[in-house]
Amino acid sequence: MKLEFLAPQTLQDAVTMAKARGDAARFIAGGTDLVIQARKSGTWPEAVINLQQIPDLGEIKGSGQNFSLGSLVTHRQIEREGRFAGALEALRESACVIGGHQVRNVATVGGNLCNASPAADMVPILLCLNAEVALAGSEGRRVVPLASFIEGPRKTKRAHDEVMTEIAFSAPAQKFASAFLKGGRRRAMEISIVAMAGVVSVSRDGKLTDVRLAMGAAGPKAIRLTEVEKFLEGKALSKDVLEETGRLAAAAASPIDDVRASASFRRHLAGVYARRVVELSWNRISEVGNDRSAA
Amino acid sequence: MTEVQLDLTVNGRRHRLSVPAHYSLLDVLRDELELTGTKTNCLEAECGVCTVVLDGKSVASCAVLAAQCQGREVTTVEGLAEGAALHPLQEAFVEFGAVQCGYCIPGMIMTAKAFLDENPRPTREAVREAIAGTLCRCTGYQKIVDAIMAASQRLSQQGERA
Ligand SMILES: Cc1cc2nc3c(=O)[nH]c(=O)nc-3n(C[C@H](O)[C@H](O)[C@H](O)COP(=O)(O)OP(=O)(O)OC[C@H]3O[C@@H](n4cnc5c(N)ncnc54)[C@H](O)[C@@H]3O)c2cc1C
Repeated sequence: MKLEFLAPQTLQDAVTMAKARGDAARFIAGGTDLVIQARKSGTWPEAVINLQQIPDLGEIKGSGQNFSLGSLVTHRQIEREGRFAGALEALRESACVIGGHQVRNVATVGGNLCNASPAADMVPILLCLNAEVALAGSEGRRVVPLASFIEGPRKTKRAHDEVMTEIAFSAPAQKFASAFLKGGRRRAMEISIVAMAGVVSVSRDGKLTDVRLAMGAAGPKAIRLTEVEKFLEGKALSKDVLEETGRLAAAAASPIDDVRASASFRRHLAGVYARRVVELSWNRISEVGNDRSAA
Repeated sequence: MTEVQLDLTVNGRRHRLSVPAHYSLLDVLRDELELTGTKTNCLEAECGVCTVVLDGKSVASCAVLAAQCQGREVTTVEGLAEGAALHPLQEAFVEFGAVQCGYCIPGMIMTAKAFLDENPRPTREAVREAIAGTLCRCTGYQKIVDAIMAASQRLSQQGERA
Protein backbone atom coordinates (compact mmCIF):
# COMPACT_ATOMS: atom_id res chain seq x y z
CA MET A 1 0.00 0.00 0.00
CA LYS A 2 1.48 3.31 -1.05
CA LEU A 3 -1.00 5.94 -0.01
CA GLU A 4 0.20 9.49 -0.41
CA PHE A 5 -1.16 12.24 1.84
CA LEU A 6 -1.43 15.71 0.34
CA ALA A 7 -2.11 18.72 2.54
CA PRO A 8 -3.06 21.80 0.50
CA GLN A 9 -3.43 25.07 2.41
CA THR A 10 -5.70 26.74 -0.14
CA LEU A 11 -8.73 25.79 -2.21
CA GLN A 12 -6.80 26.56 -5.38
CA ASP A 13 -4.00 24.15 -4.42
CA ALA A 14 -6.49 21.41 -3.59
CA VAL A 15 -8.11 21.75 -7.01
CA THR A 16 -4.73 21.84 -8.79
CA MET A 17 -3.56 18.69 -6.98
CA ALA A 18 -6.78 16.86 -7.81
CA LYS A 19 -6.56 17.90 -11.45
CA ALA A 20 -2.94 16.72 -11.69
CA ARG A 21 -3.64 13.36 -10.05
CA GLY A 22 -6.86 12.53 -11.84
CA ASP A 23 -9.14 9.80 -10.55
CA ALA A 24 -6.41 8.22 -8.45
CA ALA A 25 -6.72 10.95 -5.83
CA ARG A 26 -9.65 11.53 -3.48
CA PHE A 27 -10.47 14.45 -1.24
CA ILE A 28 -10.73 13.68 2.45
CA ALA A 29 -12.73 15.68 5.00
CA GLY A 30 -13.66 13.87 8.25
CA GLY A 31 -12.66 10.54 6.73
CA THR A 32 -15.48 8.61 8.42
CA ASP A 33 -16.70 7.23 5.10
CA LEU A 34 -13.46 7.22 3.14
CA VAL A 35 -11.08 5.67 5.71
CA ILE A 36 -13.47 2.98 6.80
CA GLN A 37 -14.51 2.03 3.26
CA ALA A 38 -10.85 1.89 2.16
CA ARG A 39 -9.80 -0.26 5.11
CA LYS A 40 -12.76 -2.61 4.72
CA SER A 41 -12.30 -3.10 0.98
CA GLY A 42 -8.51 -3.13 1.21
CA THR A 43 -8.32 -0.65 -1.67
CA TRP A 44 -6.93 2.76 -0.88
CA PRO A 45 -6.73 5.53 -3.44
CA GLU A 46 -3.21 6.43 -4.57
CA ALA A 47 -3.50 9.74 -2.78
CA VAL A 48 -5.81 11.58 -0.43
CA ILE A 49 -6.06 15.37 -0.52
CA ASN A 50 -6.84 16.76 2.91
CA LEU A 51 -9.45 19.53 2.90
CA GLN A 52 -9.26 20.29 6.62
CA GLN A 53 -6.64 23.01 6.41
CA ILE A 54 -8.41 25.08 3.78
CA PRO A 55 -9.65 28.27 5.46
CA ASP A 56 -13.32 29.30 5.64
CA LEU A 57 -14.95 25.96 4.85
CA GLY A 58 -15.89 25.23 8.45
CA GLU A 59 -18.41 27.95 9.21
CA ILE A 60 -22.17 28.26 9.42
CA LYS A 61 -23.15 31.66 8.04
CA GLY A 62 -26.35 33.63 7.75
CA SER A 63 -29.34 34.73 9.74
CA GLY A 64 -33.05 35.26 9.25
CA GLN A 65 -33.90 33.48 6.01
CA ASN A 66 -30.62 32.85 4.22
CA PHE A 67 -27.99 30.45 5.47
CA SER A 68 -24.94 28.64 4.23
CA LEU A 69 -23.11 25.67 5.65
CA GLY A 70 -19.42 25.41 4.84
CA SER A 71 -18.77 21.92 3.46
CA LEU A 72 -16.48 21.11 6.40
CA VAL A 73 -19.09 21.98 9.02
CA THR A 74 -19.42 18.94 11.28
CA HIS A 75 -22.68 17.29 12.28
CA ARG A 76 -21.82 18.30 15.84
CA GLN A 77 -21.78 21.98 14.84
CA ILE A 78 -25.18 21.69 13.15
CA GLU A 79 -26.67 19.81 16.08
CA ARG A 80 -25.62 22.60 18.46
CA GLU A 81 -26.41 25.57 16.19
CA GLY A 82 -28.64 28.04 18.04
CA ARG A 83 -29.85 29.67 14.80
CA PHE A 84 -31.44 26.34 13.81
CA ALA A 85 -33.34 25.94 17.09
CA GLY A 86 -37.07 26.42 16.49
CA ALA A 87 -38.30 26.52 12.90
CA LEU A 88 -35.22 24.84 11.43
CA GLU A 89 -35.10 22.18 14.15
CA ALA A 90 -35.12 19.39 11.54
CA LEU A 91 -31.54 20.31 10.61
CA ARG A 92 -30.45 19.67 14.20
CA GLU A 93 -32.59 16.52 14.40
CA SER A 94 -30.98 15.12 11.24
CA ALA A 95 -27.43 15.86 12.41
CA CYS A 96 -27.85 14.54 15.94
CA VAL A 97 -28.65 10.98 14.88
CA ILE A 98 -25.56 10.47 12.72
CA GLY A 99 -23.38 7.95 14.55
CA GLY A 100 -22.23 8.74 18.07
CA HIS A 101 -20.39 11.80 19.40
CA GLN A 102 -17.10 10.40 18.12
CA VAL A 103 -18.40 10.33 14.54
CA ARG A 104 -20.31 13.63 14.67
CA ASN A 105 -17.26 15.45 16.03
CA VAL A 106 -15.37 14.81 12.79
CA ALA A 107 -17.86 13.81 10.07
CA THR A 108 -18.87 16.71 7.80
CA VAL A 109 -22.00 17.75 5.95
CA GLY A 110 -20.03 18.02 2.69
CA GLY A 111 -18.80 14.45 3.13
CA ASN A 112 -22.33 13.26 3.77
CA LEU A 113 -23.58 14.81 0.49
CA CYS A 114 -20.55 13.88 -1.64
CA ASN A 115 -20.54 10.29 -0.41
CA ALA A 116 -24.15 10.15 -1.66
CA SER A 117 -25.35 7.14 0.25
CA PRO A 118 -29.12 6.65 -0.28
CA ALA A 119 -29.33 6.71 3.53
CA ALA A 120 -27.36 9.95 4.04
CA ASP A 121 -29.33 11.64 6.80
CA MET A 122 -28.62 15.29 5.97
CA VAL A 123 -30.08 14.98 2.48
CA PRO A 124 -33.87 14.90 3.13
CA ILE A 125 -34.10 18.14 5.10
CA LEU A 126 -31.72 19.93 2.72
CA LEU A 127 -33.94 18.81 -0.19
CA CYS A 128 -36.93 20.32 1.64
CA LEU A 129 -35.01 23.59 1.96
CA ASN A 130 -34.19 23.56 -1.80
CA ALA A 131 -30.50 23.64 -0.93
CA GLU A 132 -27.91 24.42 -3.57
CA VAL A 133 -24.33 23.21 -3.42
CA ALA A 134 -21.35 25.24 -4.59
CA LEU A 135 -18.52 23.41 -6.35
CA ALA A 136 -15.08 24.84 -7.13
CA GLY A 137 -12.97 23.06 -9.74
CA SER A 138 -10.40 23.62 -12.45
CA GLU A 139 -13.16 24.89 -14.77
CA GLY A 140 -14.32 27.47 -12.25
CA ARG A 141 -17.15 27.72 -9.78
CA ARG A 142 -20.72 26.50 -10.23
CA VAL A 143 -23.84 26.12 -8.15
CA VAL A 144 -26.02 23.02 -8.50
CA PRO A 145 -29.36 22.25 -6.83
CA LEU A 146 -28.88 19.39 -4.36
CA ALA A 147 -31.83 17.59 -5.96
CA SER A 148 -29.90 17.17 -9.21
CA PHE A 149 -26.41 16.99 -7.62
CA ILE A 150 -27.10 13.52 -6.23
CA GLU A 151 -27.79 11.23 -9.18
CA GLY A 152 -28.01 7.83 -7.53
CA PRO A 153 -26.28 5.58 -5.00
CA ARG A 154 -22.76 7.05 -4.58
CA LYS A 155 -23.14 8.97 -7.82
CA THR A 156 -23.05 12.76 -8.03
CA LYS A 157 -22.55 15.50 -10.61
CA ARG A 158 -19.20 16.40 -8.97
CA ALA A 159 -16.17 16.20 -11.25
CA HIS A 160 -13.18 14.56 -9.56
CA ASP A 161 -11.30 17.86 -9.23
CA GLU A 162 -14.27 19.78 -7.79
CA VAL A 163 -14.35 20.62 -4.10
CA MET A 164 -17.76 21.21 -2.59
CA THR A 165 -17.35 24.50 -0.77
CA GLU A 166 -20.75 25.30 0.67
CA ILE A 167 -24.38 24.35 0.90
CA ALA A 168 -26.79 27.31 0.76
CA PHE A 169 -30.51 27.47 1.43
CA SER A 170 -33.32 29.93 2.12
CA ALA A 171 -35.96 29.26 4.72
CA PRO A 172 -39.60 29.86 3.70
CA ALA A 173 -40.65 33.51 3.94
CA GLN A 174 -43.83 32.81 5.92
CA LYS A 175 -44.11 31.19 9.34
CA PHE A 176 -43.08 27.53 9.11
CA ALA A 177 -41.92 24.54 11.14
CA SER A 178 -39.89 21.44 10.34
CA ALA A 179 -39.32 17.92 11.60
CA PHE A 180 -37.10 14.92 10.90
CA LEU A 181 -37.62 11.31 11.91
CA LYS A 182 -35.59 8.27 11.12
CA GLY A 183 -36.31 4.61 11.55
CA GLY A 184 -33.65 2.05 12.33
CA ARG A 185 -33.62 -1.18 14.29
CA ARG A 186 -32.60 0.63 17.45
CA ARG A 187 -32.45 4.21 18.64
CA ALA A 188 -28.74 4.97 18.44
CA MET A 189 -25.90 4.27 16.01
CA GLU A 190 -28.10 3.04 13.21
CA ILE A 191 -28.13 3.54 9.48
CA SER A 192 -31.59 4.71 8.45
CA ILE A 193 -33.98 2.20 6.95
CA VAL A 194 -36.30 5.12 6.25
CA ALA A 195 -35.65 8.81 6.91
CA MET A 196 -38.30 11.52 6.54
CA ALA A 197 -38.01 15.30 6.70
CA GLY A 198 -40.76 17.86 6.40
CA VAL A 199 -41.24 21.62 6.28
CA VAL A 200 -44.77 22.99 6.52
CA SER A 201 -46.43 26.38 6.71
CA VAL A 202 -49.98 27.19 7.71
CA SER A 203 -52.05 29.88 5.97
CA ARG A 204 -54.08 32.51 7.84
CA ASP A 205 -57.21 30.42 7.51
CA GLY A 206 -55.51 27.46 9.16
CA LYS A 207 -54.74 25.37 6.08
CA LEU A 208 -51.48 23.65 5.19
CA THR A 209 -49.45 25.50 2.61
CA ASP A 210 -46.02 25.20 1.01
CA VAL A 211 -45.65 21.65 2.33
CA ARG A 212 -42.31 20.02 1.58
CA LEU A 213 -41.58 16.39 2.34
CA ALA A 214 -38.48 14.38 1.49
CA MET A 215 -37.69 10.76 2.08
CA GLY A 216 -34.32 9.00 2.32
CA ALA A 217 -33.22 5.35 2.38
CA ALA A 218 -36.37 4.17 0.62
CA GLY A 219 -35.03 4.23 -2.93
CA PRO A 220 -31.78 4.72 -4.85
CA LYS A 221 -31.64 8.35 -3.71
CA ALA A 222 -33.54 10.63 -1.39
CA ILE A 223 -36.49 12.30 -3.12
CA ARG A 224 -39.10 15.00 -2.56
CA LEU A 225 -42.58 13.51 -2.23
CA THR A 226 -44.22 15.86 -4.73
CA GLU A 227 -47.49 13.89 -4.97
CA VAL A 228 -47.96 14.11 -1.21
CA GLU A 229 -46.98 17.79 -1.21
CA LYS A 230 -49.61 18.58 -3.89
CA PHE A 231 -52.25 16.61 -2.05
CA LEU A 232 -51.62 18.45 1.23
CA GLU A 233 -51.65 21.98 -0.23
CA GLY A 234 -54.65 23.90 1.09
CA LYS A 235 -55.88 21.07 3.35
CA ALA A 236 -56.62 21.23 7.05
CA LEU A 237 -55.05 18.41 9.01
CA SER A 238 -57.46 15.56 9.76
CA LYS A 239 -57.34 11.84 10.31
CA ASP A 240 -58.37 11.17 6.71
CA VAL A 241 -55.81 13.58 5.34
CA LEU A 242 -53.05 11.93 7.36
CA GLU A 243 -54.12 8.50 6.20
CA GLU A 244 -53.98 9.53 2.56
CA THR A 245 -50.57 11.15 3.25
CA GLY A 246 -49.27 7.78 4.45
CA ARG A 247 -50.76 5.92 1.50
CA LEU A 248 -49.25 8.29 -1.06
CA ALA A 249 -45.83 8.27 0.63
CA ALA A 250 -45.72 4.48 0.73
CA ALA A 251 -46.63 4.41 -2.96
CA ALA A 252 -43.76 6.80 -3.75
CA ALA A 253 -41.16 4.58 -2.07
CA SER A 254 -39.06 2.25 -4.24
CA PRO A 255 -37.22 0.42 -1.49
CA ILE A 256 -34.86 -2.52 -1.61
CA ASP A 257 -34.64 -5.67 0.50
CA ASP A 258 -31.39 -5.80 2.41
CA VAL A 259 -29.93 -6.95 5.71
CA ARG A 260 -31.45 -3.98 7.51
CA ALA A 261 -35.08 -4.32 6.43
CA SER A 262 -37.36 -5.85 3.83
CA ALA A 263 -38.76 -3.69 1.05
CA SER A 264 -42.30 -4.14 2.34
CA PHE A 265 -41.35 -3.01 5.86
CA ARG A 266 -39.56 0.01 4.43
CA ARG A 267 -42.66 0.88 2.41
CA HIS A 268 -44.81 0.54 5.51
CA LEU A 269 -42.45 2.77 7.50
CA ALA A 270 -42.43 5.37 4.71
CA GLY A 271 -46.18 5.79 5.22
CA VAL A 272 -45.93 5.91 8.99
CA TYR A 273 -43.11 8.46 9.04
CA ALA A 274 -44.73 10.70 6.42
CA ARG A 275 -47.85 10.92 8.61
CA ARG A 276 -45.84 11.54 11.76
CA VAL A 277 -43.59 14.18 10.22
CA VAL A 278 -46.54 16.14 8.83
CA GLU A 279 -48.39 15.96 12.13
CA LEU A 280 -45.31 16.83 14.18
CA SER A 281 -44.38 19.86 12.09
CA TRP A 282 -48.02 21.06 12.06
CA ASN A 283 -48.06 20.82 15.87
CA ARG A 284 -44.79 22.70 16.06
CA ILE A 285 -46.05 25.68 14.06
CA SER A 286 -47.63 27.25 17.13
CA GLU A 287 -44.39 26.83 19.10
CA VAL A 288 -41.88 28.35 16.71
CA GLY A 289 -41.04 32.01 16.98
CA ASN A 290 -40.63 32.91 13.32
CA ASP A 291 -43.92 34.60 12.58
CA ARG A 292 -42.83 37.50 10.43
CA SER A 293 -46.38 38.52 9.55
CA ALA A 294 -47.17 39.09 13.24
CA ALA A 295 -44.11 41.27 13.81
CA MET B 1 6.67 10.41 -0.16
CA THR B 2 4.30 7.78 1.19
CA GLU B 3 5.46 8.48 4.73
CA VAL B 4 4.21 11.55 6.52
CA GLN B 5 6.22 13.61 8.96
CA LEU B 6 4.09 14.08 12.04
CA ASP B 7 4.37 16.54 14.86
CA LEU B 8 1.88 15.40 17.47
CA THR B 9 1.37 16.21 21.14
CA VAL B 10 0.10 13.26 23.17
CA ASN B 11 -0.71 13.65 26.87
CA GLY B 12 1.34 16.85 26.93
CA ARG B 13 4.42 15.32 25.30
CA ARG B 14 5.47 16.40 21.85
CA HIS B 15 6.45 13.67 19.39
CA ARG B 16 8.03 13.91 15.96
CA LEU B 17 7.43 10.81 13.92
CA SER B 18 7.53 9.48 10.40
CA VAL B 19 4.65 7.10 9.66
CA PRO B 20 2.96 5.54 6.61
CA ALA B 21 0.22 7.81 5.26
CA HIS B 22 -2.54 5.24 5.76
CA TYR B 23 -1.85 4.90 9.48
CA SER B 24 -4.74 5.81 11.71
CA LEU B 25 -4.30 7.78 14.89
CA LEU B 26 -4.94 4.47 16.66
CA ASP B 27 -2.02 2.81 14.82
CA VAL B 28 0.29 5.62 15.88
CA LEU B 29 -0.79 5.57 19.52
CA ARG B 30 -0.51 1.81 19.93
CA ASP B 31 2.25 0.76 17.55
CA GLU B 32 4.54 3.79 17.42
CA LEU B 33 4.08 5.32 20.87
CA GLU B 34 3.22 2.04 22.64
CA LEU B 35 0.31 3.67 24.42
CA THR B 36 -1.74 0.49 24.52
CA GLY B 37 -4.36 1.82 26.93
CA THR B 38 -6.40 2.78 23.85
CA LYS B 39 -7.92 -0.46 22.58
CA THR B 40 -8.41 -1.83 19.06
CA ASN B 41 -11.72 -3.43 18.26
CA CYS B 42 -14.16 -2.98 15.36
CA LEU B 43 -12.02 -0.63 13.20
CA GLU B 44 -15.27 0.84 11.78
CA ALA B 45 -15.93 3.60 14.35
CA GLU B 46 -19.02 1.65 15.41
CA CYS B 47 -17.97 0.58 18.89
CA GLY B 48 -16.20 3.60 20.39
CA VAL B 49 -13.63 1.45 22.19
CA CYS B 50 -10.73 3.35 20.54
CA THR B 51 -12.05 6.79 21.57
CA VAL B 52 -9.46 9.43 22.46
CA VAL B 53 -9.76 13.19 22.91
CA LEU B 54 -8.43 15.22 19.95
CA ASP B 55 -8.26 19.00 20.50
CA GLY B 56 -10.90 18.69 23.21
CA LYS B 57 -13.33 16.50 21.26
CA SER B 58 -13.93 12.77 21.42
CA VAL B 59 -13.04 10.93 18.22
CA ALA B 60 -12.81 7.31 17.13
CA SER B 61 -9.04 7.02 16.66
CA CYS B 62 -9.50 4.13 14.19
CA ALA B 63 -11.29 6.41 11.72
CA VAL B 64 -8.95 9.41 11.87
CA LEU B 65 -5.82 9.35 9.71
CA ALA B 66 -2.75 10.18 11.78
CA ALA B 67 -1.70 12.57 9.03
CA GLN B 68 -4.82 14.64 9.73
CA CYS B 69 -3.61 15.14 13.32
CA GLN B 70 -0.57 17.18 12.32
CA GLY B 71 0.16 19.79 15.01
CA ARG B 72 -2.82 18.72 17.12
CA GLU B 73 -3.21 17.59 20.74
CA VAL B 74 -4.33 14.16 21.81
CA THR B 75 -5.28 12.91 25.26
CA THR B 76 -5.49 9.18 25.89
CA VAL B 77 -6.50 7.31 29.01
CA GLU B 78 -2.82 7.28 30.04
CA GLY B 79 -2.95 11.06 30.26
CA LEU B 80 -5.70 11.35 32.86
CA ALA B 81 -4.09 10.41 36.17
CA GLU B 82 -1.74 12.89 37.80
CA GLY B 83 1.07 10.74 39.15
CA ALA B 84 -0.57 8.19 41.44
CA ALA B 85 -3.78 10.20 41.75
CA LEU B 86 -6.50 8.87 39.49
CA HIS B 87 -8.77 11.26 37.59
CA PRO B 88 -12.22 11.63 39.25
CA LEU B 89 -13.76 9.67 36.35
CA GLN B 90 -11.34 6.78 36.90
CA GLU B 91 -11.96 6.87 40.65
CA ALA B 92 -15.72 6.81 40.16
CA PHE B 93 -15.53 3.89 37.67
CA VAL B 94 -13.61 1.86 40.29
CA GLU B 95 -15.86 2.88 43.14
CA PHE B 96 -19.15 2.12 41.36
CA GLY B 97 -17.98 -1.20 39.93
CA ALA B 98 -18.50 0.14 36.42
CA VAL B 99 -15.73 -2.10 35.07
CA GLN B 100 -16.25 -5.76 34.25
CA CYS B 101 -14.11 -7.15 31.45
CA GLY B 102 -12.64 -3.67 31.08
CA TYR B 103 -12.06 -3.63 27.35
CA CYS B 104 -14.37 -0.70 26.57
CA ILE B 105 -13.40 1.30 29.64
CA PRO B 106 -10.56 3.46 28.24
CA GLY B 107 -12.87 4.49 25.37
CA MET B 108 -15.81 4.94 27.73
CA ILE B 109 -13.81 7.15 30.06
CA MET B 110 -12.42 9.29 27.23
CA THR B 111 -15.93 9.66 25.75
CA ALA B 112 -17.15 10.80 29.17
CA LYS B 113 -14.16 13.10 29.67
CA ALA B 114 -14.79 15.11 26.49
CA PHE B 115 -18.51 15.19 27.24
CA LEU B 116 -18.13 16.43 30.84
CA ASP B 117 -15.62 19.07 29.78
CA GLU B 118 -18.37 20.57 27.61
CA ASN B 119 -21.33 19.70 29.85
CA PRO B 120 -20.23 19.86 33.50
CA ARG B 121 -23.67 19.13 35.05
CA PRO B 122 -25.50 16.80 32.67
CA THR B 123 -28.75 14.89 33.24
CA ARG B 124 -28.67 11.08 33.30
CA GLU B 125 -30.47 11.09 29.96
CA ALA B 126 -27.79 13.32 28.43
CA VAL B 127 -25.06 10.99 29.73
CA ARG B 128 -26.80 8.00 28.15
CA GLU B 129 -26.99 9.87 24.86
CA ALA B 130 -23.33 10.89 25.11
CA ILE B 131 -22.13 7.29 25.44
CA ALA B 132 -24.46 5.92 22.73
CA GLY B 133 -21.46 5.51 20.42
CA THR B 134 -19.37 3.59 22.97
CA LEU B 135 -20.45 0.01 23.43
CA CYS B 136 -20.10 -2.10 26.57
CA ARG B 137 -21.25 -5.68 26.32
CA CYS B 138 -20.89 -6.52 30.05
CA THR B 139 -22.46 -4.02 32.38
CA GLY B 140 -25.78 -2.90 30.95
CA TYR B 141 -24.56 0.69 31.39
CA GLN B 142 -26.28 1.42 34.74
CA LYS B 143 -23.09 1.50 36.75
CA ILE B 144 -21.23 3.32 34.00
CA VAL B 145 -23.86 6.07 34.03
CA ASP B 146 -23.81 6.12 37.86
CA ALA B 147 -20.03 6.58 37.78
CA ILE B 148 -20.15 9.37 35.20
CA MET B 149 -22.85 11.20 37.17
CA ALA B 150 -20.79 10.91 40.38
CA ALA B 151 -17.66 12.11 38.60
CA SER B 152 -19.52 15.10 37.17
CA GLN B 153 -20.50 16.15 40.70
CA ARG B 154 -16.96 15.80 42.01
CA LEU B 155 -15.46 17.61 39.06
CA SER B 156 -17.81 20.55 39.37
CA GLN B 157 -17.20 20.74 43.14
CA GLN B 158 -13.46 20.77 42.45
CA GLY B 159 -14.08 23.45 39.84
CA GLU B 160 -15.95 25.60 42.37
CA ARG B 161 -13.17 25.26 44.94
CA ALA B 162 -10.43 26.06 42.45
C1 LIG C 1 -20.08 4.52 12.96
C2 LIG C 1 -20.65 5.37 11.86
C3 LIG C 1 -21.97 5.72 11.88
C4 LIG C 1 -22.52 6.50 10.86
N1 LIG C 1 -23.84 6.81 10.92
C5 LIG C 1 -24.39 7.55 9.95
C6 LIG C 1 -25.78 7.91 10.01
O1 LIG C 1 -26.49 7.53 10.94
N2 LIG C 1 -26.29 8.67 9.01
C7 LIG C 1 -25.53 9.11 7.96
O2 LIG C 1 -26.04 9.81 7.11
N3 LIG C 1 -24.21 8.79 7.88
C8 LIG C 1 -23.63 8.03 8.84
N4 LIG C 1 -22.31 7.69 8.76
C9 LIG C 1 -21.55 8.07 7.56
C10 LIG C 1 -20.64 9.29 7.65
O3 LIG C 1 -20.26 9.59 8.95
C11 LIG C 1 -21.26 10.54 7.00
O4 LIG C 1 -21.64 10.29 5.68
C12 LIG C 1 -20.29 11.72 7.05
O5 LIG C 1 -21.04 12.90 7.01
C13 LIG C 1 -19.22 11.76 5.96
O6 LIG C 1 -18.43 12.94 6.15
P1 LIG C 1 -16.82 12.88 6.24
O7 LIG C 1 -16.38 14.27 6.42
O8 LIG C 1 -16.36 11.91 7.26
O9 LIG C 1 -16.51 12.34 4.78
P2 LIG C 1 -15.19 11.68 4.16
O10 LIG C 1 -15.12 10.26 4.54
O11 LIG C 1 -14.02 12.53 4.41
O12 LIG C 1 -15.59 11.81 2.61
C14 LIG C 1 -16.67 11.10 2.05
C15 LIG C 1 -16.62 11.22 0.52
O13 LIG C 1 -16.92 12.56 0.11
C16 LIG C 1 -15.80 13.17 -0.56
N5 LIG C 1 -15.75 14.52 0.00
C17 LIG C 1 -15.82 14.87 1.32
N6 LIG C 1 -15.86 16.21 1.45
C18 LIG C 1 -15.80 16.73 0.21
C19 LIG C 1 -15.83 18.08 -0.32
N7 LIG C 1 -15.92 19.14 0.49
N8 LIG C 1 -15.74 18.26 -1.66
C20 LIG C 1 -15.64 17.17 -2.48
N9 LIG C 1 -15.64 15.89 -2.04
C21 LIG C 1 -15.72 15.67 -0.72
C22 LIG C 1 -14.62 12.29 -0.25
O14 LIG C 1 -13.70 12.28 -1.32
C23 LIG C 1 -15.27 10.93 -0.08
O15 LIG C 1 -15.48 10.32 -1.32
C24 LIG C 1 -21.73 6.92 9.78
C25 LIG C 1 -20.37 6.60 9.77
C26 LIG C 1 -19.82 5.83 10.78
C27 LIG C 1 -18.37 5.49 10.74
